Amino acid sequence: MSAILVFIVIFPMFAAVISYIIGKYNKNLRNYWACVSVFVEFLVSVFVCNKALFYKSHTLFGLGIEFKCGGLRGILIVIAAFVWLMSTLFSNEYFKHYRNRNRYYFFMIITLGATMGVFLSADFYTTLIFFEIMSFTSWVLVMHDETENAIKAGMTYLTVAVIGGLITLMGMFFLYNSTGTLNFEELGEIISQSSYKADYYIYCVMVFVGFGAKAGVFPAHIWLPEAHPVAPAPASALLSCVLTKTGVFGTLVLSTQIFVYDSTWGFFILVLGTITMFLGAFIAVFSINLKRTLACSSLSQIGFILVGIGMQGLLGEHNALASGGTILHVLNHSVIKMTLFLCAGAVYMNLHELDINKIRGWGRDKKLLKLVFLQGLLGIGGIPLWGGYISKTLLHESIVEYIVHLAQHGESTIVFNIIEWVFLISGGLTLAYMTKLFVAVFVEKNEYESDKENEKKYITKTSAIVLIVCAVLISAFGLMPYKIMDNVAYAARAFMNSHQPDHSVHYFAWVNVKGAVISVLIAAFVYIFVIRALLIKKDKNGKSVYINAWPKWLSIEEKIYRPVLLNILPFFGGSIANLMNISFERVFRGVSALAYGICRYVAEPSFDKTVAVITPMTINVCGYAEMSFEVVCKLFENISAIAVNFFDELFEWFRKKAESILSVIMEFCVEPSFEDLYKISYRFFERIAVIFSGLIENLLLWMLIIIVVVSRFIKSTYNYIVQIVLYFLFNYEEIAYDGKRQFRKDAYFSRFSIDKHGENEGGRDSLSMALILFGIGVVAALIYLII
Amino acid sequence: MGDYVLLFPVFFPILCGIFMPFVKNEKLREKIVLVILFVEALVVFCLAFGSGHSIEVWRISRMLSISFSNDGISRLFSCFISAIWFLAAVFSMEYMKHENNVGRFFMFYMVSLGVLMGISFSSNFMTMYLFYEFMTLMTMPLVLHTETPEAIAAGLKYLGYSIFGAGLGLIGFFFLCIYGTTTEFVAGGVLNSMAQSHADFLRVVYLGMMIGFGCKAGMYPLHAWLPTAHPVAPAPASAVLSGIITKCGVLAIIRTTYYLFGVDFLIGTWVQDVILVLSVSTIFMGSMLAYKEKMLKKRLAYSSISQVSYVLFGIFVMTPQAFCGALLQVIAHAIAKNALFMSAGAIIYKTGHTYVTELKGIGKQMPIVMACFTVASLSLVGIPPTAGFISKWFLATGALEANNVIPVIGIVVLIISALLTAGYLFTIVADAYFPGKDFDYSKLENKEPNMFMIVPLVVLAAAIVVVGILPSHIIDFFTSITTDIF
Repeated sequence: MSAILVFIVIFPMFAAVISYIIGKYNKNLRNYWACVSVFVEFLVSVFVCNKALFYKSHTLFGLGIEFKCGGLRGILIVIAAFVWLMSTLFSNEYFKHYRNRNRYYFFMIITLGATMGVFLSADFYTTLIFFEIMSFTSWVLVMHDETENAIKAGMTYLTVAVIGGLITLMGMFFLYNSTGTLNFEELGEIISQSSYKADYYIYCVMVFVGFGAKAGVFPAHIWLPEAHPVAPAPASALLSCVLTKTGVFGTLVLSTQIFVYDSTWGFFILVLGTITMFLGAFIAVFSINLKRTLACSSLSQIGFILVGIGMQGLLGEHNALASGGTILHVLNHSVIKMTLFLCAGAVYMNLHELDINKIRGWGRDKKLLKLVFLQGLLGIGGIPLWGGYISKTLLHESIVEYIVHLAQHGESTIVFNIIEWVFLISGGLTLAYMTKLFVAVFVEKNEYESDKENEKKYITKTSAIVLIVCAVLISAFGLMPYKIMDNVAYAARAFMNSHQPDHSVHYFAWVNVKGAVISVLIAAFVYIFVIRALLIKKDKNGKSVYINAWPKWLSIEEKIYRPVLLNILPFFGGSIANLMNISFERVFRGVSALAYGICRYVAEPSFDKTVAVITPMTINVCGYAEMSFEVVCKLFENISAIAVNFFDELFEWFRKKAESILSVIMEFCVEPSFEDLYKISYRFFERIAVIFSGLIENLLLWMLIIIVVVSRFIKSTYNYIVQIVLYFLFNYEEIAYDGKRQFRKDAYFSRFSIDKHGENEGGRDSLSMALILFGIGVVAALIYLII
Repeated sequence: MGDYVLLFPVFFPILCGIFMPFVKNEKLREKIVLVILFVEALVVFCLAFGSGHSIEVWRISRMLSISFSNDGISRLFSCFISAIWFLAAVFSMEYMKHENNVGRFFMFYMVSLGVLMGISFSSNFMTMYLFYEFMTLMTMPLVLHTETPEAIAAGLKYLGYSIFGAGLGLIGFFFLCIYGTTTEFVAGGVLNSMAQSHADFLRVVYLGMMIGFGCKAGMYPLHAWLPTAHPVAPAPASAVLSGIITKCGVLAIIRTTYYLFGVDFLIGTWVQDVILVLSVSTIFMGSMLAYKEKMLKKRLAYSSISQVSYVLFGIFVMTPQAFCGALLQVIAHAIAKNALFMSAGAIIYKTGHTYVTELKGIGKQMPIVMACFTVASLSLVGIPPTAGFISKWFLATGALEANNVIPVIGIVVLIISALLTAGYLFTIVADAYFPGKDFDYSKLENKEPNMFMIVPLVVLAAAIVVVGILPSHIIDFFTSITTDIF
């Protein structure tokens, strides 16, 4: 019996291969086969959904895998199979004129199997395996259109998925290492018993990154608003309704199975959820692309779900309302968002446009589509009697309950009051942007194309039935909350460790309807005073258009993620890697070239080579010797000259002085006069001047010598260094083959040329050479300075 | 017969290979090569599943002898080497049609296989070293096969690096003769009582040997021959060079680390830190350079540098789990990298494109080849359900078992490297299958190569997935090896 779980996972994989083979020969048969196989999957899911089954293999994938069914997992697999069934039925018409349909069906059905694997998994190893498979197969669905935007969005999606998946993997390494298991229940036991939890928080945050990225949690939400609009509508429905829920599933496991009743973890999730909830709704108000708005709406709704998950952690054992709200919002969001995306698909199928200015007024006479879309609007807007109201009420009640709980214990409730208001405002914004879409597409007239040809048949019967089924479900959920919704919430309770609520919720009591009324009032305010007043402008023809007032520069992806990931990190990493790569090779080449040269010389010494090597060396040595001899000689010469001069002068000066003084004194004694006195003093100053002039002359000579010596030394050293460095940097083979030990300028500079592929072969070399030259120069300068 | 059966896989291909250039009829030669390699693989697999043998062929002196045996490591390496060698031979049947001197190519190709078997089955250092040097000499003609100036220069570079590296290994051998009781491979090490008093000196010797043998495995600092030699060699040659020959460096490192020096002598010492840092930085460097490289085969060569260092990382961490992961990575990388190089070869053979920028829309022309390329890429990045995921899981969890901070840094580098690997391989896949809206479908022609190229690729791709989903028998086998060592 438990093998049926394996069947659920494996069957789509085989069905996909069969569909690919069939599709090679017959396209219609392939479509039927796809529908049939997904239908079989749906039936099996419904059959097993409430049975507590368990499957464990010890050998598969090395560590073994575990599947479990029943409770929350049952609900999730039924949702997944249902959404898949509807989407596959709808695809039939949507893809009529598409290329590569075979590829689409192949990967779509495999993704179903992988998604089932995630939902059924009972340990993180299994979750991770199917989560990664799912990421990669759904990537193909995102890129399916192959437009420029689709490829860009696809690469963003892949990058987020790969980085998220790898960080999750790393978290699991640590978790596995510290606990020795990855089974959810065992992990929960071990962690709840441990007294020191800080490490586990870090590991689980790592694990959360991948799941959060898939769910679209801030700040890893960037892929959602990009990928949904460009993917084919049935694929966007799958992405938005089911694939994001795999992220939610992972978060649920972390929050309710591993950190049971953990308020720290709960608050962490709650804060992220609140930000995501508000951010998604806020961006959606500005968006003028039909599917982009829906994508932002998905972000916001995932935020609502995370708020519920966070509240479960905070409320501890009294979390019945939060857990019920969480699972019911998962259910509601899946059904409602599928309805809306399929409506968008119907629009795109006919017009090939998603800009609401272009599709404006197209749906005025499409009664069915209008009704279905209205159902979606009322459902997601949280209007009483429609599905979304039930789950939002429960979520709201859980916040209120916690505020009451805090107030009873006399603690500050301000944070949670804020969160409650953000919750209500986000609900209001949801209604506002949905109204904007509805009014634009189904109510207003298109002022540009007033006389559009009125196609009678814009949708096939199958697609219409699909839409009707979805729309009816939304009402059913809202009208019979006690029959359907409470049972669903009850079924999921065991997984989330929550107990019977203290009292049953009266969904239509004033206390609960009040929240919805506040949201509607906020919505009316936002729609009238923001959307109609600020976001609709007259264009140059005087006709009103919706404008996208969201500033272009305000994009976390363009401003932070892309530059960091594509430019900054590769630049630093690349520089380090290049230096590592080249440094040793150059040294190795240089040393081996030297060794090669020596060996060659030792092997066959020849007179020519000796002369060739020795002569310049001798010349240079002689040059230095000569120069230094010269310098020494000059030095001695100068010193002696100065000394001789000095003593000579001194002696002379004394002699003359004595003589003159003597004679002057004699004369003065014989015939004293003023003239003699003047002569004496004149001679005295004259002598001093002569001595000084001689000294200055010598000083200049000295300076000249120093300059000459230094410059010659620097020049020759520089020459040698350059030659040696170039010799080492070069392919020594080139030089060896060349036969001449010469610096081949042309060969060297040709390495810098850019070849036809825009690749700079020599760029790296030039960088490294410049660096090495610079380094050697610095070292040489330092050595010289010190000496 | 008995133990003499061990000589068969070593000398059979060598003897047969020598006669290859004399077979002038091409069809006949193809058949002979395939039959011989198939028989070889069959015999090796029989040996692997049979009982243990050992044989001493020639005793030169007390310490030196030529002898073979088949223990766990031998079985592992001989099996995957002979199997992949056979598949690459099937591939080269078609690929070598646009090369000259095919007879010479197959001569060296087959002799190389015998030599590799010699390395695998060798039971002491002397034998391994002998065949290790022969491996360099016998594979060099494969590198410079095209005889263009670049190929010759690359071949000489390959030769220079390899001889230098092997020389470092040989130096270590001299010391081992003094400080070891024997130079037979004994699980747990052979160091004698003198070794402890010269421990640090011996660790320096060990470091030299690691750097020397690391040359073949593409470990920094002697990695530079890989990106030069791979692009110029014919595709089957670069496939086996990257997938197999690098693994022989790994084999030599395993033998030296676990069978000569022993774990107890090395674990927790400075030399372990040094070689760990070397291997971890090589992982990063290889991935980063591959990410920046535009030429397909060169990119794959850099990728090999990085991926083989995963193996070395697992070996140097020296925990049973990580060692098991290293052996898994040996298999995973050998299969995946062969598939990648064969795909690159098929692309070059059919379209002549060598740069990744030229590969837009190639997935529409060669869907099967690119599908195999995709599966191999997934394995290199480590995405389940492929073999690469299992090996990385074991490597990382094993590294965490070690009480050391460097392995933890190593895991972070492993993750970064996986990200870069995704960056340099998936962009090719995306370009190949999603050429964009303006792609001209009318010019599309089916360039899928014939069965000689397709079949080996598909077999390798299937092997990647099968090993990824059902690795338990292989893991059990590796666990039995690790229990001997630790």
